[in-house]
Amino acid sequence: MDVPGNGFRARFNRRYAGAPLPWMLPVIVVIGLFYLYPVFDVIRLSFTDATLIGNEHTYTFASIIHAFGSPDLAGILLTTLIFVGGSIVGQQLLGLMIALIVIRGEKRRLFGTTILRTTALVAWVVPGIAGGIVWQMLFSEAPFGGLNSLLRMIHLHPVEWLSDPNIAPWSVVISNVWRGTAFSMVVMYAGLKSIDPTLYEAAEVDGASATQRLRFITLPQLRTVILVNMILITIQTMNTFDSIISLTGGGPGRATEVISLYTFNIVFRNYDLSGGVSSRC
Amino acid sequence: MITRLVGALALSTALCASLPTFAQDQDLAAPDRIGLSSAPNKLVVRLTGDSPGNTDPDIAAGYKDLFVAFIKKHPEWQLQLQIQTQDIGTEQAKMLEQAKSGNAPDCAAVDSFVLGQFKANNVLSDFTPYFSKEEIADLFPFVREGISGADGEIYAWWWDTDLRVLYRNKSIVPDAPQTWDDLKKAALASKDQGMEGVLFNGGRWEGTTFDWLANYWSLGGKLVDDSGKPVFGDDDNKSKFLEAVNYFKDLVDSGAAPKRVATIVTYDDLAAAAAAGTTALFIGGSWQNAQLESTLDPDMFADWTFSHIPGPTPDDHKTGTGGWTIASFSKDPQKVEMCADLVRDIYMGPANALQQQLPTRASLYDKYPVFSTPANKEFAADLADGQARPGAPIYPEISNQIQIMMGDVLSGSKSPEDALSAAYNASLEAYDRL
Repeated sequence: MDVPGNGFRARFNRRYAGAPLPWMLPVIVVIGLFYLYPVFDVIRLSFTDATLIGNEHTYTFASIIHAFGSPDLAGILLTTLIFVGGSIVGQQLLGLMIALIVIRGEKRRLFGTTILRTTALVAWVVPGIAGGIVWQMLFSEAPFGGLNSLLRMIHLHPVEWLSDPNIAPWSVVISNVWRGTAFSMVVMYAGLKSIDPTLYEAAEVDGASATQRLRFITLPQLRTVILVNMILITIQTMNTFDSIISLTGGGPGRATEVISLYTFNIVFRNYDLSGGVSSRC
Repeated sequence: MITRLVGALALSTALCASLPTFAQDQDLAAPDRIGLSSAPNKLVVRLTGDSPGNTDPDIAAGYKDLFVAFIKKHPEWQLQLQIQTQDIGTEQAKMLEQAKSGNAPDCAAVDSFVLGQFKANNVLSDFTPYFSKEEIADLFPFVREGISGADGEIYAWWWDTDLRVLYRNKSIVPDAPQTWDDLKKAALASKDQGMEGVLFNGGRWEGTTFDWLANYWSLGGKLVDDSGKPVFGDDDNKSKFLEAVNYFKDLVDSGAAPKRVATIVTYDDLAAAAAAGTTALFIGGSWQNAQLESTLDPDMFADWTFSHIPGPTPDDHKTGTGGWTIASFSKDPQKVEMCADLVRDIYMGPANALQQQLPTRASLYDKYPVFSTPANKEFAADLADGQARPGAPIYPEISNQIQIMMGDVLSGSKSPEDALSAAYNASLEAYDRL
């Protein structure tokens, strides 16, 4: 590549014309400064005994050993597994179901598909804290609690949605699925739109039933979308604790305390900075 | 004719004279600033809802008037207002971090139960020179102790307090329960009239620990020793702790309290049950008397009254007291003095009267008519049983562990002994790491 002139800019362009590093350097600096540095700092802090109220800290393995040796860790991880696993399954299934209904409705030019899509999206924009408060009212076990009042109306026994340590984790999953389904629906909707319609036309010619079309065309074609969606839901759910704080606070006991809330409590309740970051490593 | 002319002149003069004042008042109060934006001296003030940032428009307006009147006395200053969120624990932890790195606000609201952490880190400025010995002596003893450092100086001004009491519907529970047994019997009797029994905080939040501690304290139990080390599971305190835990467990197991108490994480849930007519007994905060008055119909409210929290015997009863302080983080003596002046002019009485929040000085109960009501006089008398949470840095983690323990016990996941053992060991481990 010929660059005319003899100025600094021209000389720079001539010298680094085929080298990627100088051109990517600004991006590397920005990412390094704002993304990698905090990550490295978290790892560094986990090898210290830093607290929020102490001034000095020393380097030690004690925080890591303490975090992994905590008698609470196994229960916290199991609760996190239920929360993340339940959310992935629930959000994927409901997201796919709503997306299929919307696509089918659009194909048949039915009234209300836009309303359905928008309604599902509303839950997505509700802040986690507010969502937690809404579900707390619904799950309330008071005589005037939302869901239990409905159950009583149809002569069913009320459910201990939040006070039973075996049921409470699933109540938290339900509230998170409600919130995250819209995201899954958008991803699935985009995936469904990208499937070649001639595949369905060929299947119809071959006499495939709706179930067979779903099993042999839709799901295989959505494999990549489902995988990406699963990764995104996992990351989102692993970091979710705002809605749990307002719904149960992690209780009863530690029944709904997921790893992100556990970390938050260690840092901001016990002021144990190194203990908190160690539990996340 | 002359009279009319004179009247018109007087009116127009008065209007013209008031216009600059009106314009000035508008200029003096912005959502994030009190005082003229051109004022050369700035004081960064971080407050809670006890400020012009209150969500109640009437109270916010009342505070705005107080702040504007204050800043008119200090025209060379502007207050840069910051309002804390409802997440008090996180807000206070963040502020402590900022204070340690020298970035804290000049003047701020510090929750009384975490004041110990701020004192332990020596980040607060000495307030003693700005308050008279008489004013300090007028504070309730637990308040004076709470704001004093080891050197005897005061490092904050604790301006309001509250306490926990037992609310009851007189038409269903005519007599005030005096003991734990009385409360259980009264709660079970109320169930015969369609109520759900006695309600109290039992979920994962600070209110659960604080409200329950009254029972532990009434047995003479201690959470920490003089050095701040947890002692609630040692030989001296273990049996008292278990007795107080078993009392709450028995209330739930016997049906005197519903199992749902393990999910209650706000005082508003208690008031909601009272308003819905589903409970006749609940342990709540002193401020909830005004809340009930504004929520219930006058006829319904007339049925409600309160009494001290029952103890193991009629003579042994305690109550938890909380409240907010104002402290200065500034190293500039002028700013510290300005912060103290702000406390004196706004938070030493006027703010208490505005929000009907109990003052921390006995003399103020007679000074303001609002505190002369029978209810407020009774609250003031009950403050004699008041006990504040320990100011030790480990307290928030002890509280966290008690919340976990209470959930495990009330939901039947763990026996009181196992739950206490887990809570005590976790608190000791956390103490060693602090």
